[in-house]
Amino acid sequence: MRNTLLVGGLVLSAALAASSPAAAPTMVGKEAPDFALRGLDGRNLRLSEFRGQVVLVNFWSRSDGDSRQQMPALDRINITYQRAGLVVLGVSVDDDLRRSKEFAAAMGVSYPILFDTGTKIGRDYLLQKMPMTILVDRSGIVRYSAVGFKSGGERVYLDQIRELLRE
Amino acid sequence: MNLKHRIVSIMVCGALLSPAWMAMGQTAPPAADAPGADAPAPPAGLKTLDQEVQGLKKDVVDLNKDLFVLQEELLFPANTQVALYISMDVGAFFALDSVTVKIDNKEVKNYLYTAREADALLKGGVQQIYLGNLKVGRHELVAFFTGKGPVERDYKRGATINFDKGVGAKYLELKITDRVPKHQPEFMIKDWE
Repeated sequence: MRNTLLVGGLVLSAALAASSPAAAPTMVGKEAPDFALRGLDGRNLRLSEFRGQVVLVNFWSRSDGDSRQQMPALDRINITYQRAGLVVLGVSVDDDLRRSKEFAAAMGVSYPILFDTGTKIGRDYLLQKMPMTILVDRSGIVRYSAVGFKSGGERVYLDQIRELLRE
Repeated sequence: MNLKHRIVSIMVCGALLSPAWMAMGQTAPPAADAPGADAPAPPAGLKTLDQEVQGLKKDVVDLNKDLFVLQEELLFPANTQVALYISMDVGAFFALDSVTVKIDNKEVKNYLYTAREADALLKGGVQQIYLGNLKVGRHELVAFFTGKGPVERDYKRGATINFDKGVGAKYLELKITDRVPKHQPEFMIKDWE
């Protein structure tokens, strides 16, 4: 009887540990995995070619409301900080390439929009929820990662961007 | 030097470097200068420390290089290694956008070229586009080249080679050249036997 209770207790505690929310994996502190993607303008861009600059990479999806809301904010950030050395890249992860391109063209943002229809980049960057925004420093290290977007939320990026541009 | 000797030498270097790093951490900070005194010449001790640091930096760079070579030997041993290179000698007839490589009907590489990379190839650069392992025997390699052809039109061509992988590393080269009489680019695969 005692052994049964002991085993039951162990099983229960293991189940509780498994169900408790673990910290979401993050790329912060790690080297940003390199990628090359085709842009809306037909040019191919490779992340590693921006080494030496601060890069903001925004993974977005046309079907996600937060992604659509975030793009104008990122556009303003790009216009403001581009001359200071910031590079903003938008990466669409939609499967429907045609509709994604139509949407991106309609948004008319000033930064490059790239299109990824594969799964490798998503796995490399541990993409779980859209939109996801990361900041890569001049050495190619991911220094900041954020998931989701609320109106006014770009203020947090600005603090991080200014800090990285000062380095 | 065989693999075992190389591993031992790297471990010995690491063991030799660690006391030096510990000694650096325990070095006392230099005393503050008295106000109004002339700036003193760097003491001999500091000069020696600087030389030590430079020496350690050089050792770390050499160690890193050895580790990289070791890693390549472990991951891609010479008896199964196959390396694929790409070179371009084109001007007017083809602007490279991407290359897809299949070996034995399995895609092993899909590389997208940026303007800077294509320009580097045009200037004479040779890129190692793929490094992998293959068993001894007969294999087929198919390469697809996508880009802009004459008159800025979308252009896609393929090239195939059947080759025998023997004991020892295998090197193949994808060559893109101009075929001036026909005003077309030419794609071929060369075996570096």
